[in-house]
Amino acid sequence: MTGILLSPPQLFAIARFAVLTLAAMTCLPCVAEPVIGGLANTRPDAALRGTILIEEMNCVACHSAPSTLAARSKAAPRLAEVASRLHPDYIESFIRSPHTVKPGTTMPDLLAPLPAAERDEVAKAITHYLLSLHPTPFAPAVHDPVAAAAGNRLFHSRGCAACHSPRDDAARETGMEGSVPLGALEHRYSISSLTAFLRHPHKVRPSGRMPDLRLKDNEADLISHYLLQQVRIPGALRYTLYRGLVWEGIDSENVTAEKGGQVDGFDLTLLERVPHNSAVVFEGWLHIDEPGPHEFHLAMNGGKLTVAGKDLITEAPSERKEPGEFHASIDLPGGIHPIRLEYYQTGREPRFAFEMQAPGKPRGPIPAAMLSVEKERASAYVPPVIDPDLAAKGREHFTSIGCANCHDDLDLAPKEFPPFASLKADQGCLDGDSNSPSPRFGFSEEQRAAIRTALPKAAEPGFDDATQIHKTLTSLNCIACHQRDGLGGPSQGRLDLFTSTQPALGDQGRIPPTLTGVGAKLTKEWMTQVLLHGGRQRDYVEASMPQYGEAQVEHLISLFDRVDQLEEAKLPEVGPILESKAAGYELVGARGLACIACHQFNGQSGGDLAALDIAHVPQRLKRNWFDLYMRQPSRFHSTTIMPGFWPDGKSVRPNILEGDSAQQIEAIWNYLSDGERARKPEGLSRETNVLRVGDVAEICRGRSPSTGFRGIGVGYPERINLAFDAGEMTLRQLWHGNFATVDFGAFKPNGAEPITLPPGIPFHRLSSPEENWPYKGKSNHAFPADLGYQWLGYTLDEKRRPLFRYRYGQITITDFFEDVTDGNKSAYFRRTLVFDAPSAQESFSFRAAAGDSVKKESERSYVIGRLRLVLGPDLTATLRDGTPSEVLIPLTLPAGKTTVTVEYHW
Amino acid sequence: MFRHFLQPILAALLFISAAAPLHGNESLGEMWGTAKAEEKYYPIVDIPIPTTVPLRPGGLEFLPDGRLAVGTRRGDIYFIKGITASPPAPEFHLFASGQDEIFSLAWREGAMLATSWGELTRIRDLDGDEVADSYEALSAGWGYGEYHEFAFASKPDPRGDIWIALGLSSSYVSNNLFRGWVVRVTPQGEMIPVCSGLRSPAGVGPDANGTMFTVESQGPWNGCNSLKPVIPGAFLGHPASYNWYPFTRDMKAPAVEPATPSRMATERARIKELVPPAVLFPYIKMGRSLSGFRLAETGGKFGPFDGQIFIGDYTQSIIVRATTEKVNGVWQGACYPFREGLATGIMNVEFSPQGQLIAGGFTTNRQWPVRGERPFALQRIDWSGITPFEIREIRIQPDGFVIDFTLPIDPATAADTANYKVSTYTHIYHAGYGSPEVDHTHPTVTAAEPAADGMSVRIRLDRITRDHIHDFDLSGVTSRTGEDLLHRKAYYTVNEIPQ
Repeated sequence: MTGILLSPPQLFAIARFAVLTLAAMTCLPCVAEPVIGGLANTRPDAALRGTILIEEMNCVACHSAPSTLAARSKAAPRLAEVASRLHPDYIESFIRSPHTVKPGTTMPDLLAPLPAAERDEVAKAITHYLLSLHPTPFAPAVHDPVAAAAGNRLFHSRGCAACHSPRDDAARETGMEGSVPLGALEHRYSISSLTAFLRHPHKVRPSGRMPDLRLKDNEADLISHYLLQQVRIPGALRYTLYRGLVWEGIDSENVTAEKGGQVDGFDLTLLERVPHNSAVVFEGWLHIDEPGPHEFHLAMNGGKLTVAGKDLITEAPSERKEPGEFHASIDLPGGIHPIRLEYYQTGREPRFAFEMQAPGKPRGPIPAAMLSVEKERASAYVPPVIDPDLAAKGREHFTSIGCANCHDDLDLAPKEFPPFASLKADQGCLDGDSNSPSPRFGFSEEQRAAIRTALPKAAEPGFDDATQIHKTLTSLNCIACHQRDGLGGPSQGRLDLFTSTQPALGDQGRIPPTLTGVGAKLTKEWMTQVLLHGGRQRDYVEASMPQYGEAQVEHLISLFDRVDQLEEAKLPEVGPILESKAAGYELVGARGLACIACHQFNGQSGGDLAALDIAHVPQRLKRNWFDLYMRQPSRFHSTTIMPGFWPDGKSVRPNILEGDSAQQIEAIWNYLSDGERARKPEGLSRETNVLRVGDVAEICRGRSPSTGFRGIGVGYPERINLAFDAGEMTLRQLWHGNFATVDFGAFKPNGAEPITLPPGIPFHRLSSPEENWPYKGKSNHAFPADLGYQWLGYTLDEKRRPLFRYRYGQITITDFFEDVTDGNKSAYFRRTLVFDAPSAQESFSFRAAAGDSVKKESERSYVIGRLRLVLGPDLTATLRDGTPSEVLIPLTLPAGKTTVTVEYHW
Repeated sequence: MFRHFLQPILAALLFISAAAPLHGNESLGEMWGTAKAEEKYYPIVDIPIPTTVPLRPGGLEFLPDGRLAVGTRRGDIYFIKGITASPPAPEFHLFASGQDEIFSLAWREGAMLATSWGELTRIRDLDGDEVADSYEALSAGWGYGEYHEFAFASKPDPRGDIWIALGLSSSYVSNNLFRGWVVRVTPQGEMIPVCSGLRSPAGVGPDANGTMFTVESQGPWNGCNSLKPVIPGAFLGHPASYNWYPFTRDMKAPAVEPATPSRMATERARIKELVPPAVLFPYIKMGRSLSGFRLAETGGKFGPFDGQIFIGDYTQSIIVRATTEKVNGVWQGACYPFREGLATGIMNVEFSPQGQLIAGGFTTNRQWPVRGERPFALQRIDWSGITPFEIREIRIQPDGFVIDFTLPIDPATAADTANYKVSTYTHIYHAGYGSPEVDHTHPTVTAAEPAADGMSVRIRLDRITRDHIHDFDLSGVTSRTGEDLLHRKAYYTVNEIPQ
């Protein structure tokens, strides 16, 4: 351990970590050999095993071969940005001794043949070179224990622990056999760099062996906090912020920890926000130089101060009292004492002050210098100073010892090695001699034997389709989660890690589906969706279906299709299609076979279970498989909960389609072929907050972010939606896709980026060109009735779409939004306003749209941000600049009915 | 705990942060301990609800064809057949959907009138397929722009008008039009402001005399829950809603604002428009968050309490009774325990044509504690046909009270004045939240004279105190057959003493 980069405490840390790692090694036999996750779980024959090893060790990077071997092999991590990703000390120690620092790594030890002193020097130089490549420095940060707790759950349930070792309560690897090693991550990553890696692992590891788990929202961040909870950085105090019914105490089930971290003192203003009804626990160590009586003074509603293990002040919090002042004193000897303060921000006019009076010192807040989060203060991370000469040397080493052969993203010349075709089974890397000058991979004898067997044919192995599939599933370790024809599946020790949001679905609800016969089951289109575009149906399985990248898995789509074959089902001649669909509707519903009692339908379910969504069946399944499966589900899943509905070929619903089994199965298929647009089957539960649209419109009313309190949300069958404010009788929001989530008197749009229009009534007679367009404020209480408006409600058309009705002075307006699709374009709204006036009306303006930026495209077309407003025949408009800018259509109504049409496209 | 019962709904919706309402360790109030005894006379029958139906009842109404209509928090209206059968065999039909949270329902001339936060909606099925297709805003004439602004409505009065009680914007302020008022909406949709001064009213409906009342919540200017008469032109006690008089056609704000702290009787003398609550429900002893109520007009099918008002309580999952009478031109009356042990927070009650009492409601997760544990429920209270021995009604006399019983009394215990423990107390009438019980007195019962038919007792007190709740405990009085009273307590609110 030398190196100018290392300060003594860091040296200590690395030494400790090396010891820990060695300790781990002793309990893991053979852990030093390179670990390929998929091989650890299976025992393919030597030829296949050897071929996989040759590919996974990237032999072809040094030993060139004119074949597809390079494309099949695992590329090494990209190093261009390694300076911002990894701890400099880690880089150096890993280069120097990869198999000690990360046992099981596939990285060969290239420095082993060098004398010890030279090894250190080369490692240091290469480190300086790598650090010189990227300007953004590595920046360690302290973890948030609340995030880490959430990360713990995610790490174990999302699938990380299917390949990597599960972890114990202290987040240390338990060393489960066959785990792809991670090493001591706390010496390696920062929270931000690990998060960035987990979000886009293929940027760094392009061959997809570390797949993209498609983590949602901040999941990657939470996992990073979990994995890096051993990182120590200096600070005064640790804190945790709690929210909820805090006066019940922080252990109450009605209180949840919200976040935590380090803070420079007992000071709420240092925390981002401490809202009413929260609690903060500060913990740390108090450094006492001068012994003697120490007085503590607290102003608070409630809390608890513990110093040196003694509870000095305890005051129960109450939601109904004012803060009080509390004092206590303790004789403290010199030394380091634990200090903990539980503070409750609740009750009337909450206030917090915490001061100490030490012997001979004035009373005041405890200075940060007297506090530390650890008993022994951690030392600060000191960014390395890069030595350009050393970096230049490192660059040479990088080429000369062959680093550049695998890490080929830095555009450095590779080192020359014998070509693949000339390789001898017992020489070079495979000689098994620890004094050999070749790179050391740490192969076991068994691995060497397998490589020797595979070597002659590895460049062009000529495997058949089934073996090809086997090889890919093993290389990518798909078999850690899936089983196929008896190969793989979760190991016994990991079975319990697979969980479901719907435990009642049993193993099928938690363990990723079998791949046996999958090619006969799934359409190639759906397989493509799943493998290449993140398509997913089993949302209740908590493990992710990760993405490996097109180059790694695309070939599986046609391989599965070719290999997996079933007999052809005899499909019947179907009569009138509408009749068949109607029968399917009946069969799927509660009075038929009640498929929806267990299955979701377009995101809704009809019972307590919510198994696979059947609205997507024809998108996913091959018709032949569907027919065979429906006749005998247990043939495909021996343990399936799904019963057969045609026992001995006889229907349990003989009154539908004359009980003809084949016709009934076809009817269900035909009905489901309408997908999400199919008429909702009878018996779907409404006990869900997510409103889905079927073949008719859905409505919800109440508060929404855009409309205020009198909102009306409408989801239309053509998958476009709007929010209308019945208070101002105005259109406020438009969006595509999913409709809305309702929450008791409130709704919010789902689907893609809504377009929001500004508040304000639709019609107005402007008194001057400068007059602001009127809208409801806080104090115009009678608005908009004072301008002649009255909301009259709505009626529904045959597709349950609303015709809004309201009054403006003497005029009664019917306002209808129709969802229209023409050709291949996306759907849009055609808005038809019918004005009914008892007599001719003085001119007024109709504000058809408004927004921050409005552009006139043509006489009849205006562009408002992402929205295009198209005027109906005979209409003209003026553009009024301002905040917002407005498209105003002047209207002069004769007595009787006048119809005005506009379109909204986006 | 000092907040109105419906606060949880908003808390559930939005403000999980600021307004946590209740000390978790505090109990919801002692149970009366009578549930088991009550079961014999008034068994509770559960109406099974399919898992696919998010019922969460708010408004209840019986249709002319005998089906029960339930308006829900989700904004659905279900028509339920078979609810009155024993055992119930409910069939649910979704009549209307997509509305805001529904707090009240009323059927009028082939249309359902649904009241939610901001609108009285007339809902009809025009094409005859039993599913509503017309949602007409009969009135949206009041303001709605904050999370506390509830709206509860009556059934149509004899003119067909719907009376709607509008909660304040918060406990203390009225920021939107007519918040804190009762308004009346005519069949033509005209909205007529009736009276001001409410805080967070729940149910609205008539007593046996046809006078409209509303249930008011404990809070500022309200020491406990109460039943307040909805009298045109009245000011009902909470001055936050004075600001809307200029928006009425011809009503004028009271010239005086109530002083704080004070007593109701003192302020009545200062403010001629101030109408005192008719029946006060001592806090916790008689509910914490009274909600919907209904007058029993069952022709005796529900037992001996026809002509009385039955009120649900949200927090305690109980039903209480109330009676009213007019003394010196002022409404007052008494309240009595009736039934405890319902399954959820009661939002509303309704009598079936068969004289059963339907009670429904929901809980709001952890924001507001409710004794009944089910997230939502619909239950039916049947009269078993056996008459319980109960205090039927208490009425005031110049020097005492007449106490009616449901069964003949034992003349000996009923004539013993020692068996009538009476204490009195009132509340501080002030701008602060709630009130302790104050100004206690302990009048002496000087005589107890059973009537010849044994159905009532005339008691005389050495003094009666105006503005006080008279708290009765009749533990020692037994029936002629030696039964103890099912509930020994009753509470009479004295606003006036007859001359």
